[in-house]
Amino acid sequence: MRTIVEIKNMSKRFGSTIALSNVSIEAYEGEILGLIGENGSGKSTVTSIYAGMQKCDKGEMLFEGKPWSPTSMNDALKHGVGMIVQENGTVPGISVAENIYLGEISEYKKGLFIDRKSLMADSQKALDDIGAEHIKAEMVTGALDFQDRKLVEIAKVMVNDPKVLVVDETTTALSQKGRDIIYSIMNKMKNEGKTVIFISHDLDEIMNVCDRLTVLRDGNIIRTFLKVEFEENAIKTSMIGRELQGNYYRDDYGDEVKGKAVLKADNLNKGNQLVNFSFELHEGEILGVGGLSHCGMHTLGKVLFGAEGVESGEFTIRGEHVKSIADAMKKQVGYVAKDRDTESLNLDASIKDNIAIAGLDKFAVNNMLILPSRENKYVNAQIEQLSIKCSGANQYVSALSGGNKQKVAFGKWLGRDSEILILDCPTRGVDIGVKQAMYQLMYKMRQEGKSILLISEEMAELIGMSDRILVMKDGELKKELYRSKELSEADVIQYMI
Amino acid sequence: MKSFKKVLVLLLSLLMVVSMFGCSKEGGESGQKTDGIDDSKNVKIGVLVADATGAEALAFRSYYENYIQKQYNVTFMYSDELSDAAAEASAIDNFIANNCKAIISFASADRPAQIRKCAENKVYYAVATGTLSDDEYKEFKDNEYYVGAIGPDLYTEFMAGYNMAKHYLDQGFTKFAVFGGATPYYVDMHIYRTAGILVAMCEAGGGDYNGAKDMGQMIGAIYGMNCQLAPAKIGNVELVSYIGGYDFDDAWFGKLAEAANNPETEVLLAVGSGLDTFAAFKRPEQKLGTVDSYTADAVKAMEAGTLDYLAGKFSASIGPIFMATLSAVQGKPIRTANGEALALSQGYWVATSADQAKEFYSVDSSTTDPAYTRPMLDKYFGAAYDDFAAFVGAYSYEEIQNLKK
Amino acid sequence: MDNEKIVRKEHVKNLIFQIAPIVGLLLLFGLFMAFAVIKDINIPYSMKNIINQSVIVVVVATGAIFIYTLGSFDISLGANMCVSALIGAMAYNRTGSLAVMIGTCILTAVLIALVCSVLASVFNLPVFVTTIAMLSLLNAAVLMLIGANGTGDIIQVPAEAVSAINTVWFKLIIMLVYLGICIFVFNFLKLGRQEKFAGGNPECARLTGLNNSKLAIIAFIMAGIGVGLGAFLTITYAPTLSRNTASSVGMDVIISIVFGGMPVSGGARSKIYSAVVGALSMTLLSQIMLMLNLNSGISQMVKAIIFILVVFISMSDGRKSILPR
Repeated sequence: MRTIVEIKNMSKRFGSTIALSNVSIEAYEGEILGLIGENGSGKSTVTSIYAGMQKCDKGEMLFEGKPWSPTSMNDALKHGVGMIVQENGTVPGISVAENIYLGEISEYKKGLFIDRKSLMADSQKALDDIGAEHIKAEMVTGALDFQDRKLVEIAKVMVNDPKVLVVDETTTALSQKGRDIIYSIMNKMKNEGKTVIFISHDLDEIMNVCDRLTVLRDGNIIRTFLKVEFEENAIKTSMIGRELQGNYYRDDYGDEVKGKAVLKADNLNKGNQLVNFSFELHEGEILGVGGLSHCGMHTLGKVLFGAEGVESGEFTIRGEHVKSIADAMKKQVGYVAKDRDTESLNLDASIKDNIAIAGLDKFAVNNMLILPSRENKYVNAQIEQLSIKCSGANQYVSALSGGNKQKVAFGKWLGRDSEILILDCPTRGVDIGVKQAMYQLMYKMRQEGKSILLISEEMAELIGMSDRILVMKDGELKKELYRSKELSEADVIQYMI
Repeated sequence: MKSFKKVLVLLLSLLMVVSMFGCSKEGGESGQKTDGIDDSKNVKIGVLVADATGAEALAFRSYYENYIQKQYNVTFMYSDELSDAAAEASAIDNFIANNCKAIISFASADRPAQIRKCAENKVYYAVATGTLSDDEYKEFKDNEYYVGAIGPDLYTEFMAGYNMAKHYLDQGFTKFAVFGGATPYYVDMHIYRTAGILVAMCEAGGGDYNGAKDMGQMIGAIYGMNCQLAPAKIGNVELVSYIGGYDFDDAWFGKLAEAANNPETEVLLAVGSGLDTFAAFKRPEQKLGTVDSYTADAVKAMEAGTLDYLAGKFSASIGPIFMATLSAVQGKPIRTANGEALALSQGYWVATSADQAKEFYSVDSSTTDPAYTRPMLDKYFGAAYDDFAAFVGAYSYEEIQNLKK
Repeated sequence: MDNEKIVRKEHVKNLIFQIAPIVGLLLLFGLFMAFAVIKDINIPYSMKNIINQSVIVVVVATGAIFIYTLGSFDISLGANMCVSALIGAMAYNRTGSLAVMIGTCILTAVLIALVCSVLASVFNLPVFVTTIAMLSLLNAAVLMLIGANGTGDIIQVPAEAVSAINTVWFKLIIMLVYLGICIFVFNFLKLGRQEKFAGGNPECARLTGLNNSKLAIIAFIMAGIGVGLGAFLTITYAPTLSRNTASSVGMDVIISIVFGGMPVSGGARSKIYSAVVGALSMTLLSQIMLMLNLNSGISQMVKAIIFILVVFISMSDGRKSILPR
């Protein structure tokens, strides 16, 4: 097999952090190479350098045997290497078509004007080609949801017909349909003799899709597994450098929830996001909410926290109505948002700032005066309890890995002893080590009689952690499933689609 | 690499500025002594300016910096463009901190405050191109640190307007448009010039303007009409349009254009800034007169026939006040017999032809042989009041040329 | 390089960014003193002068930090100050009481700030948008006030009325008291924390129960108090007010805040002392230029270049670059 991608002895530092040290990777024609590792292991860094997003400090790159040094992502894409990134890569204020042909718009110039007609036609074809017919080329990109924006990005990459495609953690944020689109593109490329590098946290997914699998840890290559060597525990162990202690998900079954209802929702309605939606959440219960990405479950989380209103219907917490977010917080409700970096955390602030802000009323004297000693005590307790890996409470959150960021987001609400936690995709983009710790924490809270509303797009997580699962579709409650050993992903998915 | 370039650009710009430091000169060190003037010690004089970029302001500055500063052992420190009383006060504080011995002021947001501050700090103060009001003069005339004021007094301003209008009325023109400059902001100098124009019209037209005929009445009439002066018939003379203010917006330019385009209007008169206002819209058959300064542009306009009457301050007119200030600093103040501060008036040079304007301009812009040269000024170092007043009073072009001989 | 070394290096780098503005101020002060000696300057008068010239900007900028912390911007600060000073002066002329004057100045400024921020909150607009509208309104108000109540084109308070309090000590006390209050609110009250947090990420702040509109309104009130005090100090320093009064304050405040090391985007890194350090640095810089007798064009160029340099350096701070995942 011909080697298409060659990376030799690449090193890269970000300030104090070593992102890559002497990393060498090869990828061949007609294969899907998986890259896996915990947060901060360097897998995104190495591929983003190859795709022209940033420069390395040291090392050599070859593409089809020739020296490779793209000046930008666009440059890389023009010469055959495309990448679909983890973060948002589209410009919100312009049309889908303009996003797809961003950087090549001049090719549609007719004199002083842009030939909009052929721009739209070509863009629509690009969308249709990847199976995203439901997106229209003339739509404003900002109006699309996360998943559709990702599909636009994919279309943007695919119109350039790349020889190498890098898919970075894209699937974790997508529904099954979005994932299927990506899988089919990847397989098509593989069959055409092209190369795909696939980065994911999801071990099952990556084992299914990839032909080989390279594990990175702390910027070093640990091992490359061939398809025949794929074995879950071996891969996990090489990822985290030790064997996972204890269980991943909770392992109790038949432990009935006996607590009284603390949250009652009655006939909630809000556009097509919530349609006559009623349910109860009990003390000592983990209630899962699942569905496709825009089934309304994320809206539900915001509504219950008082962050969004409803058109009709009502909900109460311990019998009382919620007037605002501040009121919800007073009623001991906490909310970890899906979009961690923009909604849960203030990245340009310290761990201390982020944790303390939600608990000011807990430690400020007379709910006004802040004494440094009390504040430090409050914050340090959360850092310890959650084992946040940091140089100190004053470290900026932006410098933390994804998992540790999420721990800080948890710390905001644990510190103020929230009795009801609304968790929207709490383990999204979090490595397994941290994931496991979070599951254990959720279970511990459950045992303490606290209530958790677990909104998640990961079937395995819902099944593994929930006492009950509410399956939503188009804003409606389609099915209520109870915890059982026999419950499979297929059981859940059939009500989602 | 990119960031390196950026740093390089910034460093180069800094270097450029620093090298400009080097070019700025620190006063002449001639070290000579003439007629009692002590040239051995550099005298720092602060100059307060309300306008730092206008043609007239630049001409004044050029006379001080490019002629006086080279001739005498003095250093002029110029303020930034001062827009209000607080800015004036801090500029004076700056000058005092820098050991300026005197301050010559072209700024008038709060003259009494300026004088008080200077006097408190034993710094001499002089007004370069204007006058104090009667009350103000009464308050400060005995203050030893108030040197005085030399400039057109309000009557001179009145006469500047009067003479300009009369120049055209005498030729038989009857229909006028007037640009009133800063009249709406209640700037005295422009109000008096406007009054002069209107009084001249009353005399020629044989009527009155809203009951007013003389200077005092006319000032009252202008205030009374809130500066909305046109249209008006004054006997057989007509004020067709009147525009005031310095709005520089489309509406303002529109009004200027409308005034000039009115087929009736024969003469455009500007109490200031005629070249920046009416000149752009004037029709060839119309006449344009203005009170302004002698600049290359003004001369060009005279040659082109755009402008045919120019009453202008000459830049060296601030020479005598410099001499009075220097005299005071060096212990030989020029005061009246009663020991009072100077309050002398000085008028304009009037050019009615291109040749005249050219001649005035060449003298006015010279940095080697300006209207008032060092030998002329030196004669009045610590002079008796009457001699000095006569010297200042002989300000016309011809008189000054005679003095030079 | 081992990791610990790198971490230490990073710490040092952070520290440098923190103290750079203060080091800059000290350097400028050293430079000022050196030139003062060489150029035979009246140093005691100069010191007094520097305080006189900085104090108003320090007071207004200190209040404005609250607005800047929210990542917002008030373009109408100078116009607000002018209107407040005019109304304050008119109040004095009616009553002859300095207490009434200072009260009126503060009240007017706070009311104007309140209108700005409440309008923004009611119409759900970014606050700086309403400050733009407010700027035009206030400029019109200035002309009306002067036209209706002034003599000619000014409004004046008798000089002897304020001469007794036109002392460096009086101004220093006002400045220090206000500064102290602001530092306390900013660092030791819940409110200050909330302001800083909301500035960094308003959506996250909202989802943590903070009321962004309320915070904006309070920030504008705090700034309004500073503007009112600034208006009072302006009358004290120069009791003749015109339509140009305080016209340069808005720009001076922005430049001072940036000079003082305040991040333009606000947020958790905001510091009150930026206002003091920045205003003093700027005044020292002006004084040095003056001693060199540079014309104002050159000194403004130097300021502009240093301004860009400061922004450039603070933006090139490594923390802003892409971080590893």
